[in-house]
Amino acid sequence: MTTPLTLTPGSRPDGTAVLKVVGEIDMSNIAAFAAALEDVPGRVVVDLTGVDYLDSAGLSVLFTHADHVELLASPLLAPVITISGLAEVTTVRGLREPAAPE
Amino acid sequence: MTRSDEPPAWADVFAADGGVGRDLAAVDWARTPLGPPADWSQGLRTAVSILLSSRFPMWLAWGPELTFFCNAAYRHDTLGRKYPWALGRPATEVWAEIRDDIGPRIETVLTTGEATWDEALLLLLERSGYPEETYHTFSYSPLRDDSGGVVGMLCVVSEDTQKVIGERRMATLRDLGSDPSVVRTERETLAFSCRQLDRNRRDLPFTLTYLFQDDGGARLAGTTGIAAGHPAAPTVLPADARAVWPSAAPALGESAVVELDGPAFTGLPAGDWAEPPVRALLVPLQQQGAAPHGFLVAGLNRYRPLDEGYRGFVELVAGHIAAGVASARGYQAQQRRAEELAELDRAKTAFFANISHEFRTPLTLIMGPLAELRDRLAGAEPAIREDLEVVHRNALRLAKLVNTLLDFSRIEAGRTRAAYEPVDLAALTAELASVFRSAVTRAGLAFEVDCPPLPEPVHVDRGMWEGVVLNLLSNALKFTFEGSIGVSTRAEDGQAVVTVEDTGIGVPPKELPRLFERFHRVENARGRSGEGSGIGLALVRELVELHGGTITVDSQEGRGTRFTIRLPFGRAHLPADAPARSEVSVTAEPYVREALRWLPSERDGGQDGEQVVGEPAASGPGVPATVLVADDNADMRSYLARLLAGAGYRVRPVGDGVKALEAIRAQEPDLVISDVMMPRMDGLALVSALRADPRTEAVPVLLLSARAGQDASIEGLQAGADDYLVKPFTAAELLARVRAHVELARLRNHHARWRTALVESLQEAFFVCDEEGTVVEINAAFTEIIGYGPEGLPYRMVHPWWPDAETDPEAYRQTAEAFESLGDRRRGNYTVPLVHRDGRRLWVSVLFNLTQDPDTGRTVAVGTFHDVTAERCAIQRETALAALSVRLSRATSSAEALAGALEQFKDLWRARRVLSVVFTERGEPTVTGTDTALSWDGLGEEHRAVLTGLRGRPALSPVTQGAGVGVTLEHPEGALVLWLDLDEHRPFTDQDELLLSVLAGHLAQGLIRAHQIDQQRETALALQRAILGPSRLPEGFVVRYEPAARPLGVGGDWYDIVALPDGRIGVVLGDCVGRGLKAAAVMGQLRSACRALLLQQQGPASTLMALDHFAAGIPGAVCTTVFCGVLDPATGELTYSSAGHPPAVLAKADGSTTLLDRGRSTPLAVRMDVGRPEAECALPPRSTLLVYTDGLVERRRSPLTAGIDQAAGVVRDGRGATLDDLADLLMTRLAPAGGYDDDVALLLYRYPAPLELTFPADPAQLAPVRRALRGWLERCGLSPDAAQNVLLAAGEACANAIEHGYRDAARAHVRLRVEAAVDDLRLTVADNGRWKTPRPQDNPHRGRGVALMRATMRHVTITPGPVGTVVDMRMRIPR
Repeated sequence: MTTPLTLTPGSRPDGTAVLKVVGEIDMSNIAAFAAALEDVPGRVVVDLTGVDYLDSAGLSVLFTHADHVELLASPLLAPVITISGLAEVTTVRGLREPAAPE
Repeated sequence: MTRSDEPPAWADVFAADGGVGRDLAAVDWARTPLGPPADWSQGLRTAVSILLSSRFPMWLAWGPELTFFCNAAYRHDTLGRKYPWALGRPATEVWAEIRDDIGPRIETVLTTGEATWDEALLLLLERSGYPEETYHTFSYSPLRDDSGGVVGMLCVVSEDTQKVIGERRMATLRDLGSDPSVVRTERETLAFSCRQLDRNRRDLPFTLTYLFQDDGGARLAGTTGIAAGHPAAPTVLPADARAVWPSAAPALGESAVVELDGPAFTGLPAGDWAEPPVRALLVPLQQQGAAPHGFLVAGLNRYRPLDEGYRGFVELVAGHIAAGVASARGYQAQQRRAEELAELDRAKTAFFANISHEFRTPLTLIMGPLAELRDRLAGAEPAIREDLEVVHRNALRLAKLVNTLLDFSRIEAGRTRAAYEPVDLAALTAELASVFRSAVTRAGLAFEVDCPPLPEPVHVDRGMWEGVVLNLLSNALKFTFEGSIGVSTRAEDGQAVVTVEDTGIGVPPKELPRLFERFHRVENARGRSGEGSGIGLALVRELVELHGGTITVDSQEGRGTRFTIRLPFGRAHLPADAPARSEVSVTAEPYVREALRWLPSERDGGQDGEQVVGEPAASGPGVPATVLVADDNADMRSYLARLLAGAGYRVRPVGDGVKALEAIRAQEPDLVISDVMMPRMDGLALVSALRADPRTEAVPVLLLSARAGQDASIEGLQAGADDYLVKPFTAAELLARVRAHVELARLRNHHARWRTALVESLQEAFFVCDEEGTVVEINAAFTEIIGYGPEGLPYRMVHPWWPDAETDPEAYRQTAEAFESLGDRRRGNYTVPLVHRDGRRLWVSVLFNLTQDPDTGRTVAVGTFHDVTAERCAIQRETALAALSVRLSRATSSAEALAGALEQFKDLWRARRVLSVVFTERGEPTVTGTDTALSWDGLGEEHRAVLTGLRGRPALSPVTQGAGVGVTLEHPEGALVLWLDLDEHRPFTDQDELLLSVLAGHLAQGLIRAHQIDQQRETALALQRAILGPSRLPEGFVVRYEPAARPLGVGGDWYDIVALPDGRIGVVLGDCVGRGLKAAAVMGQLRSACRALLLQQQGPASTLMALDHFAAGIPGAVCTTVFCGVLDPATGELTYSSAGHPPAVLAKADGSTTLLDRGRSTPLAVRMDVGRPEAECALPPRSTLLVYTDGLVERRRSPLTAGIDQAAGVVRDGRGATLDDLADLLMTRLAPAGGYDDDVALLLYRYPAPLELTFPADPAQLAPVRRALRGWLERCGLSPDAAQNVLLAAGEACANAIEHGYRDAARAHVRLRVEAAVDDLRLTVADNGRWKTPRPQDNPHRGRGVALMRATMRHVTITPGPVGTVVDMRMRIPR
């Protein structure tokens, strides 16, 4: 059984490709994550706001595609993205936004 | 819950126990008064359910016929073969054989409703097919139906049979081994044993002790429990098969069982029982390495099987008796031998003392005054002088005879040892012969001495050799009237040959064979004298043989006789341990004087003869006196030399005082003549120097001076000179003075010789000590006893024979104290330890006297001593044995017994180390030692081989190897090898070996006994553990339990933690009134009941209310306080109710504390049927809960609240510590000064309990693990950010572990554990694979994982190991 993960490709009104990711990313499902990214040609905005766990396996996929992805993430993932240095090689948005009220 | 939801409750009645429950379900209940289980009352169902769920042995009876139920523990422990027949039957039928015992008790319970209590009650049960002696501790308590009426009873029982019987037997064995007196005789030791055996008539209804006699029969030596004269107790057992007791088996060392069914066995005593024994056991009284001493007949208790324990007990009893007999017999034999030896010594001593006193003392008193008389009557008429000479000659002769006899008897006793020294035998023999030259010449005989030098020296004792030569010469002279006497030496066949031959009368052929026989004289032989003892030639032969030589005689009657002596060269044929000084008192003078008297000229008397040989001037007969002349004037020196040489003196001239002093010190002259005026050192200075040195202080000095006058002579005499002569002096005057002084000196020496002979003849060691403690004189016995000879004199303090102050301070102290007191008293007697020259320890009994030295006026100590080592060792052995017995009887375990014994052995032999190795059937040998932390592997290969080699040796025979000694003995678990590492300087004597063997034997018995105690204690402990509570606790709980009554491991307090079926946990802490065993028994019942109630899913309040009813029926249970709670570990919700129990303490993470003081009501069974309150409490994250009994906080003269506050404070301060550390902290901080005086139980819980997960190394596990961890972190109260960090770090560590485990093995697992204290979180992930060093090029994201772990956690340690990798991470929890 792999960790539940939903990958929904789409596009913004301006035509930018978007990959909406919901669930948790770990070594059990990075293959699917990587495949979804490869399916999208050109630049893509990866929407991680629905991801509440991302580990080094997931990071490695993002590093591989760092030159053509742009990230949208919640503050929950801020430490992992900052510490790993991913924020330095690609554009990341949403990290400083206040957390959604609970 | 309602009945409609579940299967009928009665189906569950028997479910608590699969075994007994199934058999109970199989009973046809419809045929019993109780009817089918479906119709049973709630009360009965509850009772049966409690019964079955308890591990404590119980049975219950219910209803009009008291129908019988029991649980599994009771079935195994007590019911035996009656199971399952007994189930469902009336109780009175089940226990028909003990109806008399238990009937009234059941009646009491049913009629009064009060419980009974019996401790270790003797019951004769028929559960194994015969009436069996059993002991049970049990309580009957009433059971009530739903209406409150008594309808049955519950019996909680524990069987004590093994314990009671074991203790009884142990007591007997202990009594046998604990005789405080030193038993002396066989009769006493047997009487003692019988007194002890008679106290245990249950195991030993009667006993008979028979000892074998020389004729093969046996005699009765002791009885217990049976009257003398009973046909089964004949006083003498003949050695045949028809005897009452068959002694054949025990005589061979085997035991035998005898059925007591013959006519001799009617009317046997029954001991403490109603019926007499039907069998007896005959056990041999074994003896080390010999046939048994006898045997023990033990009448056997018919109510116990003759199992291994019983048989072993009787054998141990026999072992004790045998040991007692052996020790008594050994002691007697030793005493007898010691007395015999002492008697022999007394006789010898008396003989020598008689010789000394009866002959020598009167002789001294003749010779002394005689010498004076001769001087005084020098001018008297010739007749008087002639008479005096006769007296003088005869006294000398008598002295010679006495000396010869003494020498002879010494040789006879083997006490004379020759002081061999290499000598030029030819020269010595010629010198001795020359002494006789004048006598031979005067007899008109030719004297032919032919002694050319020999090729190598011969080892002889000078004194003895003198005796040989002088005797032969004197013999030759006596029997030769014309012709010659010849002495010659030569070498022949590697031997020195000495011949003494004469042309005398010869010996008749028939006399020749008996010539050397003692006291044999040739009858009617013509000799110069008719006198003679017939001992001379016998002595000669003895002396020659002492030198390893031979003497032969050739003789022809009328032609002459030739004696030929052959002595080997070298010293290979001589004994090694020869004394340094001759012990033979031969002097030439008596021989020559005697010989001269035979000659006509001597018989005429007259001074001429003496002047010719110059004899009276000589210090020794035949040897001229030496005079040292010191004068700086050469003319004067040579004049004096000529003058003195002419008078027969040997002169040694020197030129000044310094040279004189050197010459005198090199060889002491008989007299010193010195001029006063000399260069370098004058005469007065010379005298002072001589007098200052003890070696020369007695040398007589005659001073010569040109200075006349009184003053000058007084000055000289004051300086210590013996005489003073003023020049010019006449030759006659000088010679007269010289002669007087030489004679005086000789007289003094003569006295000294007598004194020496006297001292030497003493059997006791003799010594003289000066004021400084220096030993200045000793005798031969002294050397014989302690090995130090006169060659080492003087012996200054500290004497070499003292014990060493460093290695043996105690012995040194004893010796020093005795020695110091020498100065304080006039006389005294001490027994002190000394060390022989060869290193062995001696004990001597010293007797001393202080006296004045008449010459110097100084105080000297004169002492004697004799060797008392053997007596001392016997006493020491007894003492050591008694000490070991005491140690062994006090030991409460075999480990303690062994360790104690090893310590004693170490002290006893002052060993560096003592260790023991037990070679068990399997596994590594067990090592115990006086050093801590000894192990078999740590011993070293060589030592292990030595120890293993000893293992096969016969038991109790010590073996010395290197600087150690080992002995093997029996141990209950296998062969035991005992090893002592001894000090290298300390020899291990025969006495030590005997002692070690005796002690080891005793130890072996002690260990067997202690081993039995061990087994019993283990049983008791197992029972205690069963009562106490669960040994495995769920995560998050820690308990401490300390009963006040030691050594009992349980008391009235208890704790219990019960995992409930719905996942919740029951937490119970209780405190019964009282303490010790009785409280423990009550506690055990309450604990079981409470557990059963909780398992039925009742809440805390209902549980306590049900427990009220249960407690009301148990004596001693009323007023028990209980804290009862049910905790949900998932939420921290705690529901609790307190029956009068002190409030629990809750310490929160923020440092505040709360008392859980709600839900309170009265202690158990105080008020019945009144509802109990219940309270709820939510344990906040990372809070710590403390529940305790009042023993922890209650203090005299201090309010309870003070103690509770103190406990709360400790929990608050320690809320960051681990629970284990906190529990220890509480126990130590709150302990009163003298330790807890009440039972203490405490229980700690921290919410949430640590999370521990073990999962297969599979990536698919990551999400569920994260889920579980996320939930736990939430319970822990962590913020989402902090929780995310922990999740990330844990996820990375788990991913790593999975990667490695995944790769290495299909069955690899990962273990995750996380726990939190107040502000500290600790996370551990362990796997059983190997971690790879991060290599980003292979797997870039892995290296990143470790970096993430380090970035999110405060502290990360990765420990790779051979069986897996452990990642340990810590994080501070933000407030």
